Amino acid sequence: MTTKVAQPSPGLLDSLWETVSKPWTDKRAELVLGALACSVLVLIAGMVIFVFVKAWPSFSHNGLSWFGSGGNVDQQLDDIFNSTKTGHGYDYHLRAWPLLWGTILTTVGAVVLGLAVALFAAVFIVEFAPDWLRRVLDPVVRLLAAVPSVIYGLIGILVIVPFVGNHLISAGRKESVAYVVQLTGASLIVAVLILTVMITPIMLAIIVDALRSVPRGWTEGAAALGVNRWRVMWTISVRAARPAIVAAAVLATARALGEAIMLSMVSGSIGFAPNPLDGITFFFEPTRPLAATIVDRADALSAPPLGQTLYAFAAVLLVSAMFLSLAGWLAKQPLKKYGAGA
Amino acid sequence: MRTFRLTTVAVLALAALAMPAAALAKPTITLSGSTSVAPLAAKLAGAYVKHHKVRFKILQGGSDIGVNDVAHGRVTLGMSSRDPLPSDPGGLQFNRIARDGICVATNPGNPIANLSQEQIQGIFSGKVRSWSQVPGARIGGTIDLIVRNAASGTQDAFQNIFMGQNLRVAPSASQKPSNGRVQQSIASDRNAIGYVDFNFTRGLHTVPYKGVSCSLRNAKSGQYGGIRNFWLVSRGKAKGPAAAWIKWIRSAAARSIIASNWVPVK
Repeated sequence: MTTKVAQPSPGLLDSLWETVSKPWTDKRAELVLGALACSVLVLIAGMVIFVFVKAWPSFSHNGLSWFGSGGNVDQQLDDIFNSTKTGHGYDYHLRAWPLLWGTILTTVGAVVLGLAVALFAAVFIVEFAPDWLRRVLDPVVRLLAAVPSVIYGLIGILVIVPFVGNHLISAGRKESVAYVVQLTGASLIVAVLILTVMITPIMLAIIVDALRSVPRGWTEGAAALGVNRWRVMWTISVRAARPAIVAAAVLATARALGEAIMLSMVSGSIGFAPNPLDGITFFFEPTRPLAATIVDRADALSAPPLGQTLYAFAAVLLVSAMFLSLAGWLAKQPLKKYGAGA
Repeated sequence: MRTFRLTTVAVLALAALAMPAAALAKPTITLSGSTSVAPLAAKLAGAYVKHHKVRFKILQGGSDIGVNDVAHGRVTLGMSSRDPLPSDPGGLQFNRIARDGICVATNPGNPIANLSQEQIQGIFSGKVRSWSQVPGARIGGTIDLIVRNAASGTQDAFQNIFMGQNLRVAPSASQKPSNGRVQQSIASDRNAIGYVDFNFTRGLHTVPYKGVSCSLRNAKSGQYGGIRNFWLVSRGKAKGPAAAWIKWIRSAAARSIIASNWVPVK
């Protein structure tokens, strides 16, 4: 056995290449591709099960109040970590609401803002932009969609966060909440703005494609009836592209939900739930979404109870992503009859 | 039949690739623990493997994790930047390999001339919230606390050296996952104060502690108070290659490596 394995003769590899490079029969293609597709399914199922098994202790110790609020979440995470040292068993006490609230705020804020920008920009690019501008905008949008998030994070942490902290937040504002939370510039508003910049190009690219694929006959028919281009766009093209707009929003939400590195860098590293009742200060308060918390705390992963808590965060993100796809699919159903686009 | 042969060939080829690696196995020393000790351990390991037939695998995760891992036999040696605690599992041996300093640092726009231990405790516990209450501060306004998260050995050492066992750092502090992030946050925020390892003070104002400035030279001379120990922890007395490595760390060659950025032990 060993001798045979240790020296694979070149003949073996040659015959391997020969079998692969020859045209495949339909039967073999079906088998191989089917196996690949099934292995993806198995992989996803395995991952979900693994995450939930790991996360279970955190959920079972806290029950539904896991999702509630109460106490300082950073202190609770510290206590969970330190419970490995005391020898009195593990502590799992956690009230994760500030992290959930941070996730909701950043995601919803960025998607709503980004969707509005992407929709208007797409209408402009498809219908109103002069040709030369369109030729510049198209590749730039696609390039922006591919920029890795850590680059946005670096720009945020080196330029935007210090600017906001030193010029936009007054000393009086800092003092007014000094006993509750510190305002350093790393804040909800910076997180939402950078996240918006990150996800808008994806939505823009999808919506532009969808608007372009609206049959010319429909728009030209409307134009022939004397409707102006703006109204044609809103009443026909955008309407017909609604399934694609939903798909774009779902994709962007998924990206925003899972964004970790950039948000860990710019959102403040404090498990604080920004309070809308604080007025303008609300936007300058720090927060820390779930995914960013996993990144920030990953160095403590091998302390069992904290590791399980981080897996619980991952489980919540997984379930949200699944519900998101489901909601997107449901929202698309009644729109499908208008046709056109994804 | 044909597909079956294909898979077999692929599996055999993979196995063939994996075999030589196993055949060449050298004794391996595995380490886990403090992120502050890890750079030093990596440097010492790198110099050691040039002349010795041994391999190193270094994982990080914080001092407590290193101590726990070695106590359960998951690694050969644990790295710890905190001293032994009474609550540690029994039968562990702590081998001191170096000493290291922690600097309290502020933004260069707020160069504080000196802080006493009480002042540091007041600031970091959240009792003092405004720079106008701190003598020597050049600015007014709120104090922004930048600290490390719980798994950090630097956090542990700061707690032990500066805060003592009964005071906690204020929960409103911003907890960063690495020394570099603390450094960056302080450098970009005029109101900030935090603590960093010696090697991360570029671009910051390091605050003299009890009248002694925070520098490698003052740490080596023993005047600077914010000093902690770096340990390699073994289960029982270190044996075999690990013992040889620890012995080598006490040699002149290793000490000169340590002295480049840390304080060698006598």
